[in-house]
Amino acid sequence: MLTKIAGGEIIDPVNGRFGKGDLWIRDEQIVEPPAGGDADRTIDASGCFVMAGAIDIHSHIGGGNVNTARLLLPEQHAAHMARPAATPLSNAGWSTFETGCLYAKMGFTTVVEPAMSPGAALHTHLELADIPIIDKATLAILGNDDFLLSMIRDSSSQQMIEDYVAWTVGSTRALGVKVINAGAAAAFKENVRTFALDDVVPTYGVSSRKIVKTLQAAVDRLGIPHPLHVHCNNLGAPGAADTAAATISASEGVPLHLAHLQFYSYGTEGKRKFSSAAARLAELINTTPQVTIDIGQVMFGQTVTISSDVMRQFSARGSASPKKTVIHDGDGNGGGIVPYRYRQDFYGTMQWAIGLELFLLIDDPWRVFFTTDHPNGAPFTAYPALFELLMSRDARDEMSAGGSNGAMALSTLSSIAREYTLEEIAVMTRAAPAKLLGLDDRGHLGPGALADISIYRKGKDIAKMFGAAAFVFKNGDLVVKDGEISHYRWGRALRLNPPPDKAMVRRLREYHERRYGLSLDWFTFPDSAVAREQPFGEVACRS
Amino acid sequence: MAVAWIGNRETLVEHACEQAAMLLQSSRCPVISFDTDIHGTRAAIALAERVGAAYDHVEGAGLSRETALFTDKGAMIVAPGEVRRRADVVAIVGELPAVHHSFVAELADTVPDLSATNAREFFLIGDEGTKVSTFLGSRKATPLSSDGGLSGTLAALRAQRAGRRVSKQVSNFDDFARALGTAKFPVFLFSGHGADGLALEMLQGLIADINRKSRASALHLPASESGWGSVLASTWMTGFAPRTGFARGFPEYDPWRFDVERALASGEADLHLWISAGSAPPAEDNGVKLIALAKTAEPVAGAEITIAIGEVGVDHEAVVYSGRTGTLAAIKAQGASELPSAAAVIRLVADKIPAEAALPC
Repeated sequence: MLTKIAGGEIIDPVNGRFGKGDLWIRDEQIVEPPAGGDADRTIDASGCFVMAGAIDIHSHIGGGNVNTARLLLPEQHAAHMARPAATPLSNAGWSTFETGCLYAKMGFTTVVEPAMSPGAALHTHLELADIPIIDKATLAILGNDDFLLSMIRDSSSQQMIEDYVAWTVGSTRALGVKVINAGAAAAFKENVRTFALDDVVPTYGVSSRKIVKTLQAAVDRLGIPHPLHVHCNNLGAPGAADTAAATISASEGVPLHLAHLQFYSYGTEGKRKFSSAAARLAELINTTPQVTIDIGQVMFGQTVTISSDVMRQFSARGSASPKKTVIHDGDGNGGGIVPYRYRQDFYGTMQWAIGLELFLLIDDPWRVFFTTDHPNGAPFTAYPALFELLMSRDARDEMSAGGSNGAMALSTLSSIAREYTLEEIAVMTRAAPAKLLGLDDRGHLGPGALADISIYRKGKDIAKMFGAAAFVFKNGDLVVKDGEISHYRWGRALRLNPPPDKAMVRRLREYHERRYGLSLDWFTFPDSAVAREQPFGEVACRS
Repeated sequence: MAVAWIGNRETLVEHACEQAAMLLQSSRCPVISFDTDIHGTRAAIALAERVGAAYDHVEGAGLSRETALFTDKGAMIVAPGEVRRRADVVAIVGELPAVHHSFVAELADTVPDLSATNAREFFLIGDEGTKVSTFLGSRKATPLSSDGGLSGTLAALRAQRAGRRVSKQVSNFDDFARALGTAKFPVFLFSGHGADGLALEMLQGLIADINRKSRASALHLPASESGWGSVLASTWMTGFAPRTGFARGFPEYDPWRFDVERALASGEADLHLWISAGSAPPAEDNGVKLIALAKTAEPVAGAEITIAIGEVGVDHEAVVYSGRTGTLAAIKAQGASELPSAAAVIRLVADKIPAEAALPC
């Protein structure tokens, strides 16, 4: 089918295309305008701007910990309004089905679940497969698992470690690797309660820094497009900015991605010993080109924190609202679920302001990524409001007025005049994520790109504009029209597929049988187990 | 071999599915009980949405106690692999389902290689009626008991450990206190099968107390493995565990109202769809119509419609929850047969029911 998107304002930073024009789609791809070709279908995009489909690089949308959070909090979604059943299970509150629909309505077409426990990969992929419309991907967690820590302790060769990382990525159908508070979950099992970059995991004698550096090197040498995705130590602690700065320095010229930097941008100044270190870290990011970050913006209201940083979540149990938590000591990381309400008090306002400071003080939109660390800082449904805050100083001032005066007095936010342009938004939410993840087929509107396209009707109300796209195409299918789902389809999970090393597979078989009394087959699965047609899409490693 | 019947008359599966769809559509209050794998559960929930039914697992009682622990209080839990490798004290909390006995036996036969002690000590909390000798082999479990059954014993343990007075001392408490004093990672094995809600809550209170200064956790050994798999799938699909209903067009979780056994006994339900290859449906009374999806070579007694289905992991490959790994696993068919899976039959039924939206699975 040949589709013409006519008369929209194109915003395509990758191809340097800006301004009014037409866009052509043939089946799943964007194509050059056909010579004298008549469109089978024409979409009137006049009065709209046209971008590639948005990509979220860090959103906890599926897997064991997310599902445990759902189980813990039925009251949070029991209150959902009953809605017409235009799509299957569309009126289920916090469900996989709702997740895909809500993302699509905002013009997002690819979302990365950033924390998959390798042992629970099948569970994660089953959930991802039940998220409709959009494409998904996931990052495999390493860095607290006995097999890796033992190899580092025993000075195994870099090649062996790479073979293990490659096997993990391939067998779990991951798009990359994440390390979460490296070594801390293992240390917590031995009753260690705080863990910093140069602390050592008992029994193994391996430092957190060593684990991060080992994985960073393996990811880089394997040609995994996405740099090691790092959740640093000391998340949420006053003074965590020092940890983040040390981790940034430890990147040493090799690509590294730091997740949800807002949760580390805390100093210890002021009478509450809690202050913003956003300006300091932003400056460090600005001068460290190999490092990318996402924000983890806080927005006010009820949410639930879901993290595989089990040590941190254990320490946060006292702040749970409502007062119930789940703490799971897993084979590697495990995780913790702590519901939380961000209030417009001193601390909540400070966190909110710090996230925005980072967004606005980091100069390069190619290296700062738009996330709330859903649902940790806020549910992803807060994105439209967040776009407005980035694009409108007035909106920031208005929301600041409702927050804590004490916090705002200690923040530079009110003095920052910068407002994101649509081009910068397109870079941050489309072009840059595609580049960071190695997804050459999306994030832009050039011929040959996948026809993932978001069309927004221009309006003064920025949040409304981004909250309900006029049209969204996924793989050339028109899936959203006037902010509502118009076509239901199933996306794929994007994965790497590095070939497994046979010796490593033998070694892992022997390890699982000896240490766990189980065949390695318990931890692997065929594609057919997901029970969807073509559930996976393969992405190439860098050569 | 016949695989479908209307009443006692053999028929084609296609025709039986049409009739099942008609019954479901005309029902005032359909309810579904299942004991199946993840994909069977997904299909059953999609069907429940389509016909406005409530659904529950066939072993819903124990599962609902476990679900309530999470929905009401939360928990500290640990992966089975970590228990094998790290637990230097193992406390069995009440009666565990037989399916988990082999893992407890495995714990008795191994030592924790990630523990400095390289040894494992066993306790049995609330020993009334619990026979661990059958699966612990030559290993002994020190019994801990007090008044008030399992929850009373747990309450007394917690109180004594905190230095408070109790009406009756827990037997062998000093041994337990000594073991906890030196243990690096004690683990409590629990199930909703043998523990009520109060006991589960008290156990978590005890574990929280221990974790103030040292480490401990609990291993969840579900009342039903297939049931816990269904809890997981139901939760990601609807936001809620089983005992959820679609009577008003959207999912509502109500562990009392949508307790299928209760709804059948009270006469609220007028149609029961039973899905289980492993057990027979209860005899219906109160005029409730029965549609049975079962592994059978003959029509199920009293069923309006019977459709034969294969057994998970025997007749067809499947995805199931494993208490041994603490997560979902793909299993192969041990003796693949022509019998259709529950998921396939349920989809056939659902496809016969007109709907605005396509089936999601």
